[in-house]
Amino acid sequence: MSAPESNHGTTRRIGALLFRHETVLLIVLVAECLYFNAVGRRFGTLDNTFDIMRHSAEIGLLALVMTPIILTGGIDLSVGSLLGLCAILFGKLWRDAGLSLPVAAVCTLAIGACAGGLNAALIARLRLPALIVTLGTYSLFRGLAEAITRGVDTFTDFPDSFLALGQKHFAGLPTQVWFFLAVAIGIWLLVHRTSFGRSFRAIGFAPEGARFAGLPVARRVALVYILAGVVAALAAIIYTARLGQAKADAGTGYELFAITAVVLGGTSIFGGTGSVHGTLLGVAAIAVLNNGLVHARQPREVAGMLTGALLLAALGASEIPKLLAKLRAPRHLAGPPPISPP
Amino acid sequence: MKKYSRELTVAGVLVLLLLVLAVTAPAFYDPQPMLSRLAREAPTLILACGVALVMVCRQIDISIGSMFAVCGVCSGLLAAEGHPLAVVLAATILIGAVLGAVNGALVAGLRLPSIVVTLATMVILREGLRWQQQGAFINLPDAWQWFGLSQRGGQFTLIGCAFLVLVVLAWASRNFAGIRFLYAVGTNAEAARLAGLRPQWMTFAVFVFMGALTGLAALLNVVQSPQVDPKSGTGLELEAIAAAVVGGVAVSGGRGNLWGVFAGVLLLASINPALTYLHVEPYWEKAIQGAIILLAVIFDGLRNRPEVS
Repeated sequence: MSAPESNHGTTRRIGALLFRHETVLLIVLVAECLYFNAVGRRFGTLDNTFDIMRHSAEIGLLALVMTPIILTGGIDLSVGSLLGLCAILFGKLWRDAGLSLPVAAVCTLAIGACAGGLNAALIARLRLPALIVTLGTYSLFRGLAEAITRGVDTFTDFPDSFLALGQKHFAGLPTQVWFFLAVAIGIWLLVHRTSFGRSFRAIGFAPEGARFAGLPVARRVALVYILAGVVAALAAIIYTARLGQAKADAGTGYELFAITAVVLGGTSIFGGTGSVHGTLLGVAAIAVLNNGLVHARQPREVAGMLTGALLLAALGASEIPKLLAKLRAPRHLAGPPPISPP
Repeated sequence: MKKYSRELTVAGVLVLLLLVLAVTAPAFYDPQPMLSRLAREAPTLILACGVALVMVCRQIDISIGSMFAVCGVCSGLLAAEGHPLAVVLAATILIGAVLGAVNGALVAGLRLPSIVVTLATMVILREGLRWQQQGAFINLPDAWQWFGLSQRGGQFTLIGCAFLVLVVLAWASRNFAGIRFLYAVGTNAEAARLAGLRPQWMTFAVFVFMGALTGLAALLNVVQSPQVDPKSGTGLELEAIAAAVVGGVAVSGGRGNLWGVFAGVLLLASINPALTYLHVEPYWEKAIQGAIILLAVIFDGLRNRPEVS
């Protein structure tokens, strides 16, 4: 991380590591696993682990690609709708346009890039607020999906070789997990090991400052939204392969799960700070919670409520210390935030 | 005039649409379906006014759809127990205000970002309600639908209520200091603080007010049908925000006029019936709504284009 090297011995460094967001989340995740393993009989099996991975691949992909967006201080509410649109366009290209599945898949990825490009053009080029632009495309993409299928058309009867992508194993893991891992590694490298990734944070901290520092802000911002479009299209293909059907309502509400996972993973919703491994932990925490509560014979709704509560707790945990520090500061000094070293 | 050009543009588009409908599909103006449509939109109008004020204060509330459902179910349960209308009304508004106060406390007290807080409360309330109700509808007593009036009378009452809320808020947003302060806080919270306002309390208050309005809107929705649907209000938050955005409320705070919001609500609400009367397939509704939101925000962007230095 970017924390300055401390000279105060290792205790403090270990303390800092313990209180890091990712560490806390990891402890929560391990606690979840231990608890559900004790309560549910079939939770700890390999089959169930694969099941969790299979079911969280699509939301995980969306969360991964949401991370750089939120790092730049943006947000994308349209990824779930785009997943639905890409799923039915994929079905349409394959069944009605008669393309072979690989060609249809490539075309779908291209469509995803174009749809992401629409967001990118409006947000980066015209400098419109991302929240409202993607609220508009959230309606637009879902609406197009509904209009194209006239609300009822579903695409089924995909060949077994394609369904293997979502339902079979490859080299010991569910097939889609390999795609997920590839994207995860790619985005981790992009965010944490390239100057591109640095620039996302710089933009998230202060877009104007980043511009004066010579960064091509508009191009970098455009890149993250286009990337989101492509990955949403990939998630759509995997979703279709897992369920064996494509419908206009595919991926409804996924954007909220993705955002929840990212914020749970410690990325600031205002941009500037966060990590991809945090997001991965966030996705895992939500997926294990959802799966584990089923094994613990709890109603499905409890998982949703706990996810929301976990999100609030994660936010509060990072904000309350700051607030306490502020309250402890003398009243007359509590003016504009002081410019202090971290 | 120039100051209101944004609102006038929306109103112009709305008038144009209504004129096209008047020429091509006069059936659109048949009184009974028109009245039903307006009554159905009455709760949306109230919510859009509320969320417009929240956005003016530079916050956002996406939990209103879930609050709406919770308030609706609570009012249904109270009504089924036989409490009189006035008690149910007060209780529903109070429940809404308490839910709003939770949001407000988290946003203003703990200084958490409103979009994430209300995202979390949206999920918690919605899932909690589903857990509690398991999707079961609540039957209302006989005298409840349309407040015990005739259908027509009830619809007029509903529309009247919503319009009254709009008129009062629109007037207050010009003349009442409390709402003017919201504009100040939304424009620049630090400047507002230095001018002697308390931005955090204003933020808290606007969320409580949003909750109270949601309670009122939920009750106006409940009386329209003989049963209360626990799944009502799904996606309503985005509808209300979309109407506010189309009506010219800036998500960056400090700007917005409630008459513009009124035009935005009417415009978005006219699309579905317009499609039917113009013989376009109704499946296009959502896509067209999205396109209108984008057009509105592009229009804003081009109009307020910062000078590139």
